[in-house]
Amino acid sequence: MRALVRPAQYVALAFYILFLGFPLLWLISASLKSSGELNSLTVSLIPQDFHWENYSQALSRQGLVRSAWNSALVAVVSTMLVIVIALPASYVLARLRGKIRAAGVGWILVSQVFPVILIILPLFLILRTIGLTDSLVGLTLVHTTYTLPFALWMMQGYVSAIPVDLEEAGSMDGASRLTVLRTIVFPLLMPGIVATAMFSFVSSWNEFFFALVLLQSPENYTLPITLKMFIGGEGKVALGPLAAGSVLAAIPSIVFFSIMQKKLTGGLLSGAVKG
Amino acid sequence: MKTRGASIAACLTITTLLVASCSSGGGSGDDGADGGPVTLKFQSLSDQPAAIEATEKIVADWNEANPDVQVEIVPAGWDGIYDKLITQFNGGAAPDIIHYEAASIVPFAVDGYLADLSEYMSDEKRADIPEGILDSVTVDDQVIAYPTELQSYMVFANRTMLEAAGVEIPTGETMTWDELREIAKATTKDGAYGLGWGLASPTAAFMAMAPGFGGQYFEGTGADASITIGEGEMALPELVDEMAHTDSTVLPVTLTQSGSETLASFYAGQVAMTIQGSFQAANIANDAPDGFDWVVLPPLEGPDGAEQAANPQTLSVNIDSEHVEESAEFIEFFTDTENLAALNEADALIPATTSAQEAMAASLGDENGWSTILSSGQFLTSAPYLFVDAYAQWKDTVATPAYQKFLAQEIDADQLATELEAGWDEITK
Repeated sequence: MRALVRPAQYVALAFYILFLGFPLLWLISASLKSSGELNSLTVSLIPQDFHWENYSQALSRQGLVRSAWNSALVAVVSTMLVIVIALPASYVLARLRGKIRAAGVGWILVSQVFPVILIILPLFLILRTIGLTDSLVGLTLVHTTYTLPFALWMMQGYVSAIPVDLEEAGSMDGASRLTVLRTIVFPLLMPGIVATAMFSFVSSWNEFFFALVLLQSPENYTLPITLKMFIGGEGKVALGPLAAGSVLAAIPSIVFFSIMQKKLTGGLLSGAVKG
Repeated sequence: MKTRGASIAACLTITTLLVASCSSGGGSGDDGADGGPVTLKFQSLSDQPAAIEATEKIVADWNEANPDVQVEIVPAGWDGIYDKLITQFNGGAAPDIIHYEAASIVPFAVDGYLADLSEYMSDEKRADIPEGILDSVTVDDQVIAYPTELQSYMVFANRTMLEAAGVEIPTGETMTWDELREIAKATTKDGAYGLGWGLASPTAAFMAMAPGFGGQYFEGTGADASITIGEGEMALPELVDEMAHTDSTVLPVTLTQSGSETLASFYAGQVAMTIQGSFQAANIANDAPDGFDWVVLPPLEGPDGAEQAANPQTLSVNIDSEHVEESAEFIEFFTDTENLAALNEADALIPATTSAQEAMAASLGDENGWSTILSSGQFLTSAPYLFVDAYAQWKDTVATPAYQKFLAQEIDADQLATELEAGWDEITK
């Protein structure tokens, strides 16, 4: 009986992976179908003939590569900024007691309430005043502030989970405050940092509305804006090129996650050793 | 979407204070003040590759002929463009020339964001635009945009299925809804249905085709408009209901699909006819299986005629533009016969001027039903809903859900009429 458990686990895992991966498989399949096949009642995962033109159309038509580069730039820089700001702030938020902490937590919670449509106009005016509309720098700042409250909230949870006793033990052994943070807290916090970075990256990578309103020049467009341009007026959709563009758009995200996932595992292990 | 409004405002305020000292402020741009050429920003929503190419060619021709007034295309997408424009207008950063649709541009005109182009529109152009179409871009006696492209709702038919059912293909200037119903009955057999109509979002189609039944929906303009749901307004929904649930000649699933989704059933021979936006002729020509024999039937005519409400795509000018006159001159050029015909051919739409319709008809003949589609342009007329402030809200929150419930037989005709009127009263009280 026990011998059957492991194969059953693998089968269950395979089904689960297939279930999770099916949308991506379907997207890849759609990206290789002709317009006629996409508009047919015959449904098949394997395209009748592989229509690679969708990829060349996606690449040539809407400046997809430039948009992907812009998205990557904004997402990576805003993620770095979020982590740099959230790391010390979350530590303070988690360890501090009293009214300042309560105010900080209140600020984070209140900031979740307002719909984006309410703030877009003042935001636009502020950015225009400082000359940062239609600018990737401006968009990066917006994405940073957009993500920061939740990132703070997320990371302070990870900090709170680290026992204060560990820090006190380090101090007892003669380590300075900075040494304690660097050698004890930071390694244990690594999984939280990685998870927060992933969240920040995805938030920025997928963000549409701020980019739509703030960016004016095609050379500054981010990927969601460019992909939306495959959907036209009167219900016209270039489904094949859109699917191809979406597949290409997913690649940087997958690469980023692959790298970060290793770090996430590494962080967990190092945390375990230190703990 | 999760939002972090307060934090963004707070952080940006701080950023403003920090950066303001080292910033010289807003945008630049060459406005010709230094003697250089004027540059006009033209926010274009052209989305099809051929239409983008046609737009670029028109702009290139203009730029070559007008070295002192250069036009720069700013491509944008249809999705979210209303929010983008309203922010641009309020932020004083709207482009000079704006491509959009009449139904959405009228509120901007009412709010004073668009220039009056009446004095710039040539007499020839004014005479070339059918009266109903010109009315659709006229607000308070001011022409607030040039109409460019239109679509009508047409019947596309599988000729093989009609002929197999012994149906004579209608060829007159128009065909009646009764004829459509009879053809649908004749072709509903052997598991196939006579009609497939993508009515997942039925309001636009019902509003557009209501004039054929005398349906107007709205009286008055702006915030003072009132709604009436009478026989004329209910005629088409009731006709669809009868065809779907009494005659059983409408493929049921299509009532919950978009127009494009319904085309798959058309190609597969599950439906003999489908009502679609005229632009789908280009998609059918491209996507239909080899040997698929299709035809565009004449425009549908109700008891009050074959009129359909038009919602043309438009070009208008930002009232804050420093170059309204130059922008209007460019639009006048953009909408000349040759340019408009080329653009509409690329977009598979109907030109807003008679001369461009004639030019297209002459150059395309009856290929892909073009002559029939272009002939429907003469029946396009102004739509009262274009000038009603709360129309968009009523459409999304009241009309579409009510029509969907009616087509799903969750409510009857009386309840539908009551919901449409009561919903309007609720929104406008």
